[in-house]
Amino acid sequence: MKKIVTLTIDGATTRAPKGTTVLDAAIEYGICIPHLCHIPNMTDIGACRLCIVENIVDGRSRITTSCTLDVQEGMVIRTNTERIRHLRRNIAELLVAQAPNSRAVQDMAVRCGVKEVRYPFRNDDCILCGRCVRICSDMWQARAIGFVGRGAERRVGFPFGDRPAYCKECNSCVDTCPMTIVPCEGSMKPGEAHLCGGCESQLSMASGAQEAMCVMCRLGEGFKCSRYGWQ
Amino acid sequence: MPTVKNATALEKLSSPESLEALRKDIQARSRQTKITVTMCGGTGCCASRAQDVMDALRSEIKKNRLEYDVRVRITGCHGFCEQGPLMIIDPGNVFYCRLKPEHAADIVSRTLAGGEVIEDLLYTDPVTGRKARTESAIPFYRAQDRQLLSLNKLVDPLCIEDYIGAGGYAALAKALSGMTPAAVLEQVKKSGLRGRGGGGYPTAKKWAECADAPGEEKFVICNADEGDPGAYMDRCLLEGNPHLVLEGMALGALAIGAQHGYIYVRNEYPLAVRHARAAVESARAAGLLGGNILGSEFSFDVDIARGGGAFVCGESTALIASLEGKVGEPRPKDVHTVVQGLWDKPTTLNNVETWANVPSIITNGGAWFASKGTKGSKGTKIFALTGRVKNTGLVEVPMGTSLRTIVFDIGGGAPEGREIKAVQTGGPSGGCLPLSMFDMPVDFDALREAGSMVGSGGIVVMDDKTCMVDVAKYFLTFLRDESCGKCSTCRLGIDRMLEIVTDITEGRGRLEQLDLLTDLADTVAAASLCGLGKTAPNPVLSTLKYFEEEYRAHILEQRCPAGVCRSLIEYSIDAHACTGCGTCARACPHGAISGGKKQPHVLDASLCQKCGICISSCKFGAILVA
Repeated sequence: MKKIVTLTIDGATTRAPKGTTVLDAAIEYGICIPHLCHIPNMTDIGACRLCIVENIVDGRSRITTSCTLDVQEGMVIRTNTERIRHLRRNIAELLVAQAPNSRAVQDMAVRCGVKEVRYPFRNDDCILCGRCVRICSDMWQARAIGFVGRGAERRVGFPFGDRPAYCKECNSCVDTCPMTIVPCEGSMKPGEAHLCGGCESQLSMASGAQEAMCVMCRLGEGFKCSRYGWQ
Repeated sequence: MPTVKNATALEKLSSPESLEALRKDIQARSRQTKITVTMCGGTGCCASRAQDVMDALRSEIKKNRLEYDVRVRITGCHGFCEQGPLMIIDPGNVFYCRLKPEHAADIVSRTLAGGEVIEDLLYTDPVTGRKARTESAIPFYRAQDRQLLSLNKLVDPLCIEDYIGAGGYAALAKALSGMTPAAVLEQVKKSGLRGRGGGGYPTAKKWAECADAPGEEKFVICNADEGDPGAYMDRCLLEGNPHLVLEGMALGALAIGAQHGYIYVRNEYPLAVRHARAAVESARAAGLLGGNILGSEFSFDVDIARGGGAFVCGESTALIASLEGKVGEPRPKDVHTVVQGLWDKPTTLNNVETWANVPSIITNGGAWFASKGTKGSKGTKIFALTGRVKNTGLVEVPMGTSLRTIVFDIGGGAPEGREIKAVQTGGPSGGCLPLSMFDMPVDFDALREAGSMVGSGGIVVMDDKTCMVDVAKYFLTFLRDESCGKCSTCRLGIDRMLEIVTDITEGRGRLEQLDLLTDLADTVAAASLCGLGKTAPNPVLSTLKYFEEEYRAHILEQRCPAGVCRSLIEYSIDAHACTGCGTCARACPHGAISGGKKQPHVLDASLCQKCGICISSCKFGAILVA
């Protein structure tokens, strides 16, 4: 029997088994914390930074990603403060400016309140969330792909550039990639320098609800929110 | 030359008393040496051809048959790199600087054999023009308080006997003969020592957390992956006095109950790697590392690990990952390394300078250490003073010394009558502080409040020919290349900040971009995974805070006040000042300057690449930058 700890998320007292992350605990309870690189039951690396929350320790707020933060007895978490919403919007803006053609990233940006993007678009195909890398290593134990390079040169690649024999072409990496979701009609065409805003209509469902409450929005489906489970 | 016994030939010391006996023996022997010539063999002096001077000196000594009277000791860095190669001759502590191989014959025949001081080789004070005979007469040294660095000149880093003779391993012997681990910790706590690597975390607190962490196996790590541009104090300590660091680590291990230590030193420091390895071997041979040190129950050993050149591996979790053989990337620190560090075991990681401070704390007591410095920051700190200042080098001062003292009294102010505008402290994670703040005491808290940080202790001095926007751009470029790229805010955020700053330096800037820059900097600082990202915006934020008018000049007037940003400046030739000597025309690699002999030259702006070669070649100051 796993030990259960009690913690407070956005004022709500929740209980979660020891070893769960704050993100999982919050989603389980129905509190929405936007996230992108997190896949249920896999190692979290805190790459996308979208799931940041305020962890109140001794009256001081520490901002950290909820996917890498394990629940502890008596923890006080705030997921939806003014500050967090502002930071999250800026992070989503950085991501969508990098990969404006991904429906998942667009959905996410709209969900985080990005109305305009203040940077020139870059039209990259990868935001280095590492979902593919972790599916390959954690789920299939194959390690056929991994991160190569440092900083601005970081990319996902095969060892030494060649597809190894132990890559079974299972396509899990492709399935989990936020770039491969079929784009909706309003999606951006390469080179366009604005967000189409097509997803905003779906926001009505989310924004009408009580703040931060998960309403199983369709947007969540787009970025494969944990609420929809790993399929 | 009197033979110094090879360290490996040392007998294994079996008790603190045998160490004391050996020390007395070494000191008695060194008193018999008539003359000791100490030469700096640090990287700085070696770059100024110190090796050639040593070779010439040795052959001259041989020629004059003085081998039995003179001991030549090659030591680590003395700190005054600007004046290297350096030499100190004892007796008399005569200080010679800027030596060349051709000086060797004179030094041997006149000073060593004749006891005469050669005036020409002494240091000349550039202000008063007076010659200084000894180190203590030189303003650069006089204004300092060299607790750690002064040991460098007494110790040949490859000779453990030198270190023991200078009082080395006395602290370890003291701790092993009667002090409990808790007593060691208590002294460090009393000293108020804070981490010298950048964060300034209280060392005793870190040690206590690690000592209390559950687990039998614990580790200590020495972080010698120094990578800040312009900072090299850790290199000098590890190169010049590796046993001091080892002794500090052994004391730390004793306090927290660790059995094994690692020194993670970057491979770009070959001399530090070599000296640290030699020190570990000789300490092991002497029974000062390994099983049952000095006959006690305490066992501790150290291994050297070399870093592969990633700046981010100076971050504790990335360093640990690298040490484990994984990719050197930071991980979230929600569980601290003192609880789960190397191989998930409790680990205490401290910087070279922090470890080096420990032995003297144990020898002299924590209260002695705490008597120096300010309320929140105790002891002395080594700074690497570089940039537009007369005396560059390593400077050790008590915490709380003002920037003015460091830059003007020790550094001697700006060369060539320029005006000092700002200093950059703390490397890429630190910030720029303007001249108006030079009276501020330099300590952890004051600098952080001002938007900069002590960091590892680099101080880069900037004069009126430095563009602050360009400085921000330099550090952002550095950080973009050195970010590991794992988390989005650091990877994309720094890149976007650099994009904006580049726009500004190239004349495409818009005023609203300044707000965006501040907003983005705040996001990167708040939401990044590790210390690199969290502090990355500091160079931008501090220059924006103190030098906003420079940003505005770039944006609104399309003008670079310092004349640095190439897109915003034009070169021209002052026809009145130009003598038509033709030097600039010959020097220009782009053929942009032409003109007849003795006629004022003309500069073709369409060909000019603004490289600045003409400016440095012109003796008449006729090249204008606007």
